[in-house]
Amino acid sequence: MINAQARLSNRFMWMCMAPVIAFLVVVSLAPTIVAIIDSLRELSLTVFTKRGDFVGLENYRDLLGDDAKFATAIWKSAMFVLVVVPFEFVIGLAIALYINHEFAGRRLLITLLMLPTMIAPVVVGMMWRYLLMPSFGLLTHYLQQQGFLAETTIFSNEFTAFAALMIIDIWEWTPFMMLIMLAGLTAVPQEPIEAASLDGANWWQVLCHVQLPFLRPLIIFAIMFRAIEASKVFDTIYILTGGGPGNATETIAVFAFRTTFIKWDLGYGAAICLVLTFFSLIVAALFYKVTSGAQGR
Amino acid sequence: MKRRHNPFLWAVPLAALLFVVLIPYLWIILASFKHRADLLSVPPKWIFSPSLENYRQILVEKGFDQYLLNSLTVGFSSTALAVTVGTLAAYAFSRFKVPAGNHIFYILATRLGPPVAYALPMYLVFFKLGLLNLQVGVILAHATFNLVLVVWMMKSFFDDVPREIEEAAYLDGCTPFQVFWLVSLPLTLPGLVTVSIFVFIFSWNELLFALILSAGEMRTMTVMIPSLVLHTGTLWGQVAAASVVQSLPVLIFTFFIQKHLVRGLTFGAVKG
Repeated sequence: MINAQARLSNRFMWMCMAPVIAFLVVVSLAPTIVAIIDSLRELSLTVFTKRGDFVGLENYRDLLGDDAKFATAIWKSAMFVLVVVPFEFVIGLAIALYINHEFAGRRLLITLLMLPTMIAPVVVGMMWRYLLMPSFGLLTHYLQQQGFLAETTIFSNEFTAFAALMIIDIWEWTPFMMLIMLAGLTAVPQEPIEAASLDGANWWQVLCHVQLPFLRPLIIFAIMFRAIEASKVFDTIYILTGGGPGNATETIAVFAFRTTFIKWDLGYGAAICLVLTFFSLIVAALFYKVTSGAQGR
Repeated sequence: MKRRHNPFLWAVPLAALLFVVLIPYLWIILASFKHRADLLSVPPKWIFSPSLENYRQILVEKGFDQYLLNSLTVGFSSTALAVTVGTLAAYAFSRFKVPAGNHIFYILATRLGPPVAYALPMYLVFFKLGLLNLQVGVILAHATFNLVLVVWMMKSFFDDVPREIEEAAYLDGCTPFQVFWLVSLPLTLPGLVTVSIFVFIFSWNELLFALILSAGEMRTMTVMIPSLVLHTGTLWGQVAAASVVQSLPVLIFTFFIQKHLVRGLTFGAVKG
């Protein structure tokens, strides 16, 4: 009786798993194998003499050995993450603390605040492009009126272009941080906070010694999550600068995209993609280890 | 931590915050109703005579109704696929000890990798199969990328269903499939709807796969909006109108899934 039921359960389990396994083989495994093979070839769609010769590991040697643009792209992505994520975290946490109590219209307020995160990054890019257009852009106009901005166009200067992309990313993703922190703050038990207040702890001490330690696992999760996402930023850069001026805003994803789908160097592109996949598997493992410990998933 | 505060003074920074958050979007909504001259005026115009000309131009003349339909098709198909495949797997992960389950979980985590790294291998396959002019590529790509969201989120919803309820059903003689279909799935139906909306929004908003894996008449909204940036100058009125058309459904959906935003945006890892 028990045995028969166990057998039935087992069969049902495999019925549940079969589609996902088949799916992953078709859309994940097969393309990866194709990409591995192509990464060993000289495969460029624009140069006709370079069609499909096997070159062994040359693509990888070029990429990891002496492609300065790849190294620069990694550096740009790292800088982007290191600037953007701390800002998003601190501002997000501050807003969360500010609205961490019941009041009328709270749900609506949170939904409205989430707008930047929820709308398509393409639309975000376009909105900001319009705001920052030279002379007639709303933001450019008022900034110039106040004397904050010289007459140059923001996206033709290497520094201002990158800074603008960072500010846009902070605008786009701070609400996400706020939302996670808010979820964490509501879960903090009230008793220790009240006890600390009774003992004469001020607001800042309660925050640092009661609330933040309680939020620690969630904070680690949120920062890692955002760092991974920010390192992949593509859509807004594609819309606003396309990686330019020159390659001033060429992060890893933009670099890979340009090499593969603008220069049509597919073999080299495949090598880039596989190196990135390898990196991201390591990061995923790390992320999984840290968060499954933290979240008790 | 009860602090007394003056509700008016307390609301002022919030109003400022709302202003910063919403003004770019409000400005593009305004732009979508502006005539050409008002769009490029210096100083920027807040008051103008509105018109629906931009909407007419994109939907009637530029054929964006087709791209809107494409986005819908891709969204619905990839959502149906990801939710069906993912929910079954999530149930198995939640209720049974799946052999090598960790490995499969791990493969699913590829969602954490950069999309461009998956776009190329998929492009190579679809290029070789000659399927680039169909929507199959984009649908499969979106389904793959959202699969992990479905699995993780649905697993967290199934985990919330008390085992006692299922055990009672087993004692009544239900088969595992009946327990899943008649007991657990209906109980997680609100969760399933939420997950579906999330997957749909992510597919609807996605750019890179749609850009690479579709061509010509099959392109989606997110790919076509940037195409209104021309060498001779951007058609801002049409960009604005298309952006509003693209983003309104997202905002409406967001309002309905507000309760589950945290869970959805963190792939089920944080329960809000």
